[in-house]
Amino acid sequence: MDVFYEAATRVDCRPIMEWKNSGRPVVGYTCSYTPAEIFYAAGILPVRLRGIETDGMEVGDTYFGPFICSFPKCILQLAGKGKFSFLDGAIITPGCDGMRRLDECWRKAGEDYEGIVPDYFYYFDVPHKSENHGMDWYLEELRLLVKSIEDHFHVEITDEKLLNAIAVFNKGRRLLRELEDLRSKDDVVVSGTDAFAAAVAGTVMPREEYTRYLEGWLSDLKERKASFSDGKKRIMVVGSVSDEIDLFELIEARKTAVVVAENLCFGIRYEGNEIPETGDPMASLAAHYLGGSVCPRMFGKYKERLQMLKERILRSGADGLIMQNIRFCDLHGAENALFERDLEALGIPCLRVEREYGPHIDAGRMRLRIGAFLERLSVAGKPAGGVQRRTA
Amino acid sequence: MPFVAGCDVGSLTSKAVIMKNGKIVADAIIKSRARPGDSAEEVMGEVLGRANLTQKDMVYCIGTGYGRDKISFVDESVSEISCHGKGARWLLPSVETVIDIGGQDCKTMKIDADGNVGRFAANDKCASGTGRFLEVMARVLHVGMDELGKLTARSRSPITLASTCTVWAQADVIKYINSGVPIEDIGAGINTAMAARVAILVNAVKPSGDILMTGGVAKNIGVVSTLEKLLGMKIKKARKADPQMAGAIGAALLAAHKADTGERR
Repeated sequence: MDVFYEAATRVDCRPIMEWKNSGRPVVGYTCSYTPAEIFYAAGILPVRLRGIETDGMEVGDTYFGPFICSFPKCILQLAGKGKFSFLDGAIITPGCDGMRRLDECWRKAGEDYEGIVPDYFYYFDVPHKSENHGMDWYLEELRLLVKSIEDHFHVEITDEKLLNAIAVFNKGRRLLRELEDLRSKDDVVVSGTDAFAAAVAGTVMPREEYTRYLEGWLSDLKERKASFSDGKKRIMVVGSVSDEIDLFELIEARKTAVVVAENLCFGIRYEGNEIPETGDPMASLAAHYLGGSVCPRMFGKYKERLQMLKERILRSGADGLIMQNIRFCDLHGAENALFERDLEALGIPCLRVEREYGPHIDAGRMRLRIGAFLERLSVAGKPAGGVQRRTA
Repeated sequence: MPFVAGCDVGSLTSKAVIMKNGKIVADAIIKSRARPGDSAEEVMGEVLGRANLTQKDMVYCIGTGYGRDKISFVDESVSEISCHGKGARWLLPSVETVIDIGGQDCKTMKIDADGNVGRFAANDKCASGTGRFLEVMARVLHVGMDELGKLTARSRSPITLASTCTVWAQADVIKYINSGVPIEDIGAGINTAMAARVAILVNAVKPSGDILMTGGVAKNIGVVSTLEKLLGMKIKKARKADPQMAGAIGAALLAAHKADTGERR
């Protein structure tokens, strides 16, 4: 578990630096709609860019301005402070407009802060619809990305290498699915904080090493008898991008709740959705990454996302949902309001909170709201109406 | 039936209530000190003195408010949202929707027949729509908090604030003062801005039934009357006790429940 916590809480964690020191390239990416398998196939370590360990905002505020999500601002802040000096490349994706602007803000900041823009700096466009020409467009973008990586890093990304990468990543997906199943049982043997740290670690660690640790940890968990869920309310965390372990610690610190699932950009969201390990790998990657529609950045898919959320609530036996969105996050802010409306109507208690991204920020405010919500759940009993516990 | 106590340490004021058999024995309110622990000690000392009792006479004591985790003498702490729900129901047994405006927070909530909180909403990291907003504005206008509330009724042409951000609104208010705008029009504009911000949170919980306001801002008649207009609903008045004491009352009621169910010390 220490390996996962170190990887989840440090920007320049040991696994990344070991990879880097062995002379192999590291490329950062900003959005879960970027297929990390492509980098693996190229012998590059794909690292999800994060804003943890930020202790100021002077760089982020200068180039972004005040009225924008603090997540991309924290990434730029770290870049401006040289914390991403280990990167050989960065991929910027329009996950949302704030993340899209990271492309121009980072480039502009690079004019003032020498050496903060990696040699390879690529804008990877992702459509907001998966139907019709959207999928063709995305596939074309994937091909351009592959070509660009091949040209810059002097590598060849073959179909064979891609299929191998898919198989390696699928193994991790199956293991995360097993972890999700463990958390869904009546007696939960793992805290939400530990499970989330393990999921976040997977976004930065080299895949084989991660899978090895995850496999070992899971076999330990399966032997565990102690329950984290006795007398506690089961919570699901959803909403804006979050890789902050602190948020989970805050929820579980009261000893009256255990986080049994999350629907977050960094959490376990794709589990079970394996990618075909035969056939055309590019088409399979496109179908998997763009076709999922799990993020509100995808237009016209609210009903599908609501249905997916309901299924996950059923499977995890969640008593209530904590829906958080980072300030100025229009996508999750709007979607959380719709989720709250529709889930409360089914008798599923929801807490909707807006907050800033960043370690320890807003802890006092969040503690009050989370505390009151857990008190609400403690007198409410099991949710009524649309929820019947399904045994995992 | 033994004595129980509730201690509500807020950002602006701290309150304490001693209850017995569901009735208030004594209450106290002070301006909060820099450290929540000091505020709690002082206000509890005050209320105990008024009741001629000691801390040992309290069989159960619950702390609430932003400083609740820093109170040394309580048996447990409970969020002010839950406490205000309980307190509101005691103040007005028919209430279903509660608006609590404290010094740095504004919360709206639906409660059940026992005062348990259901759906709730709270302001997010901004001083607009809180007691602090009114306090800052009253200081700029050189009027007391009570007087600020009364300005709405006297106003003939309320100003409109361009922003409910406390910092920008303050600059706006100073501009109006310098332009010679009557103080009652400025005060009415401030109360309206406050009410408009709160109305958003009230609508977020889908208000129904009797509505009660708790917290210090409940005593601002300008905000209350404007809010009634914005919501199209009447806001009931608490006559049983000071609405600012609702959090402490709720904490004492929860303490009484704990004492009744055998969790006394």
